[in-house]
Amino acid sequence: MANVRFENVTVSYGNHTVLKNFSLEVESGQIMCLVGPSGCGKTTLVRALLGLNKPESGIISVGDRVLFDAKKRTNVPAEKRNIGIVFQDYAVWPHMTVIENVSYPLKKQRRNKQEIQQRAMHALEQVRMTEYANHLPSQLSGGQQQRVAIARALVTDSDVVVMDEPITNLDAKLREEMLLEIRMIQSRLHATILYITHDQQSALQLCDKMAIMQPDGSLCQYGTDEDIIMRPANRFTFEFIGVSNFIPLVQRGKEICLDCGEQIPFTQWVPAGVDVAGKEMGVRLNDVVFDRQSPIQATVTSRVFLGSEYNYFLTLGQREIRMQQSMLDARTFGTVSEGEKIGIRFLNPHFYDARKEAATV
Amino acid sequence: MSTNRDLAAVDGRRRINMDKVMTVVCFILLFIIVIIPIFMIIYNAFFFEGKFSLDLFTQQLTDSKNLSAMWNTLVIAVCATVLGTIMGVFYAWLLGRSDIPCKGLMRALFNIPYMFPPFLGAMAWDLLLNGRSGYLNRFLVSTFGLDGMPFNINSIAGIVFVEVSYYFPFVFMQVVSALERMDPTLEECARIAGAKQGTVIWKITLPLVKPAISAGALLILTTSLAHFGVPSILGYAQGIYTLPTRIYSVIYNSGGSFDGIRQGAALSVMLVVVVALALVLQKKILSSGNYDIIKGKSMRPTLIKLRGAKVPLLLVAVFTLVLIVVVPLVMIVLISFIKAYGLPLKFSNFTLSQYEKVFKASGTIDSIKNSLFVSITAGLICMFLGTLVAYVVQKIRPKGKEVLEVISVLPYSIPGTVLSIGVILAWSGSLGITLYNTIWIILVAYMARYLSFSMKTSSAALLQVHSSLEEAARVCGASHTESLTDVTLPLIRPAMVSGFFLIFLPAMREVTTSILLYGPYTRTLGVQIYSLRDAGMIPQAAALATVAIGIIIVLNAIVTQITKDRKGV
Repeated sequence: MANVRFENVTVSYGNHTVLKNFSLEVESGQIMCLVGPSGCGKTTLVRALLGLNKPESGIISVGDRVLFDAKKRTNVPAEKRNIGIVFQDYAVWPHMTVIENVSYPLKKQRRNKQEIQQRAMHALEQVRMTEYANHLPSQLSGGQQQRVAIARALVTDSDVVVMDEPITNLDAKLREEMLLEIRMIQSRLHATILYITHDQQSALQLCDKMAIMQPDGSLCQYGTDEDIIMRPANRFTFEFIGVSNFIPLVQRGKEICLDCGEQIPFTQWVPAGVDVAGKEMGVRLNDVVFDRQSPIQATVTSRVFLGSEYNYFLTLGQREIRMQQSMLDARTFGTVSEGEKIGIRFLNPHFYDARKEAATV
Repeated sequence: MSTNRDLAAVDGRRRINMDKVMTVVCFILLFIIVIIPIFMIIYNAFFFEGKFSLDLFTQQLTDSKNLSAMWNTLVIAVCATVLGTIMGVFYAWLLGRSDIPCKGLMRALFNIPYMFPPFLGAMAWDLLLNGRSGYLNRFLVSTFGLDGMPFNINSIAGIVFVEVSYYFPFVFMQVVSALERMDPTLEECARIAGAKQGTVIWKITLPLVKPAISAGALLILTTSLAHFGVPSILGYAQGIYTLPTRIYSVIYNSGGSFDGIRQGAALSVMLVVVVALALVLQKKILSSGNYDIIKGKSMRPTLIKLRGAKVPLLLVAVFTLVLIVVVPLVMIVLISFIKAYGLPLKFSNFTLSQYEKVFKASGTIDSIKNSLFVSITAGLICMFLGTLVAYVVQKIRPKGKEVLEVISVLPYSIPGTVLSIGVILAWSGSLGITLYNTIWIILVAYMARYLSFSMKTSSAALLQVHSSLEEAARVCGASHTESLTDVTLPLIRPAMVSGFFLIFLPAMREVTTSILLYGPYTRTLGVQIYSLRDAGMIPQAAALATVAIGIIIVLNAIVTQITKDRKGV
């Protein structure tokens, strides 16, 4: 068990700086999901941790072992860092059998044959792949290859395992299974897992802690998943995690109005002292609820049943608003038909500066 | 902590160095093998006794023999390209897309001309249709009581005919594989949209395989421009010269003197200019976008029913095969048994003594040994060097990798004759090293000539090896070298092996380069056959040719067997 620390790490490719003074700590024995849009530098960060690229500055350490320190000119080569990795494309060696793949890291540690065999089989057991030990990767499905990659990452009992979008290539059902499996394996081994993804759903399902990266490569929020959902640090986090509605606000005399083509008075609580001009209100889909008493009246344009909830498209003024109605609410309140006019209320609204493009709409 | 750091520092430095060493080694070797000979040609063509001079050029350019050689080269190359392309595309379509029977067998047979040395084909046709004494010609004269010989293979048309029959597989093979990889739904859509079968072929199929056609045509054009064997065997008798044969005769007639070689160098520059012009022209005419609709995975294309045309087309295909594969082969074998050239082909005139004579002759066994030695050595060296270059270009990607790539492919687009002159100029003492008249000079030339083959196959294989595979090995505890030997090399080994055979097979039957480089004791198999024939010992030449063909067939069978095994893994 060990924590992973990045201190002021800067990485550039040519003139393009991907990460600038990036600092982050992954706590020992936890699953940390690093979430960010494609191209924000997640993989670059992982490669710096693995020793596959060389940062210009900063310190990277695992536990009390410094792997990289630009000032002290420390740069432990990749093969001596002892970090498990599951690559996005699995990187299972096609010319080796499953067992050969899994035992390769042990061979490189010059363990004796018996131990190698034992530990490799144990790792395969953990991912439930023992019966495929002598198969070639080409004979396995994507999910099975994935498990081989995970077994290979776990086999040396590394303190830290990095998973770089390991499930993006799997189908939805297998994805779910793999996530549960990763969770279970981690609770058995207590390894520190750094899990990289752009998919917030799987991140929410898996993580103990979550870190959100912005497109410019900076860290914008770090915390538990509840923190990130309930108290997003900024508009980027709010928008990136979950789907939301944004409605511009305008001040009309003393009243605050929703600007939906026509101005609809908004009487709900707005934080004191907020200058409404140029602000938008963000509301998640499941924070929009029906309330017959509400003065804000919208028309239902369509309703889709999704199995565990209903998805509505509403027209408020001239603006389209999406909402989700949980099954519980649908049972107690009842559903609303297309074409019906109904009052809505916004729970848990967030107020952000309007984006320039959004303001002109 | 400190040991850790030290280790890291040491290893870190060494790792960077290994990549750098590989890069530097590539540049140095390619410089020696490729750049020096090419530079020497240019230098010697334009500089005389250290001074820039165009005298040699004006002198060569005003020589009417050279001008007619240049004209012949162009005419032959253009005709061979046009006819070979038409023939290649037609048979590719017939075997790839129609329901003609015996496809597998015919495809195998259509590939034979590709491995068959064209100069042996020229020899066979010369025996059959020689304007003065061809067997078939004499047969026709005596049967139909004609006044003169009906055919004369010793003409431009004859040369074009023989070249076409050996070069059309370039287009054929490219187009067949493109047709097979083409998404059939593209054609089906056109049919559904209301296009007739002919329109579909003309407007959809052909444009889609156009890149394959133009690649094949380009190969025919450059090969024909640089080709030595066929025009030399068929053209000398009638004084028909092309640039490569003219270069050879200039050097040969001067007895290998420096002056002759310099004239050859000037002519070489002209030949290179002609090849370059042809390449530019080709690009202009056939420039087309590379459509990505041709997929890597194989699909089953819909076959077109030939209906009534089936039997006639089958007959045409069989006739073509007989004409270009069976007839020359049979002719060479028959002549190899004849007691003396010119005797009628009757069983009573047959003997095995030609074989005896050939194998008793001192040069024969040596020539086979020489060819095996040079081909295997060149194949092995190129296999490793080509892979090294490919690795540097694809994985290390240093500054100047494009230069590296161009240099390694350059010698293949340069005619073999020209390359030989460069090698002679570079390695016969002017730089302090004399390899002339030794087997090593042939080896050096082969290495330059064939390096691109192994480079290309290894390159393609390396592109398939995603960098994450090597990185995964590093993270799993393998050093840089270990990740290469454990992961990358095993994955590209099949490609390396096929790269070796891609070099070994053509090198075994090579004449163009070695004809200018051989010394008294360093004849290659091709050169030996060529000089036996040149000395008038035609049945003996035929006997050795039969042996050579036998060797080639056996080697090819071995290669197919090996590559078949590899596919299973």
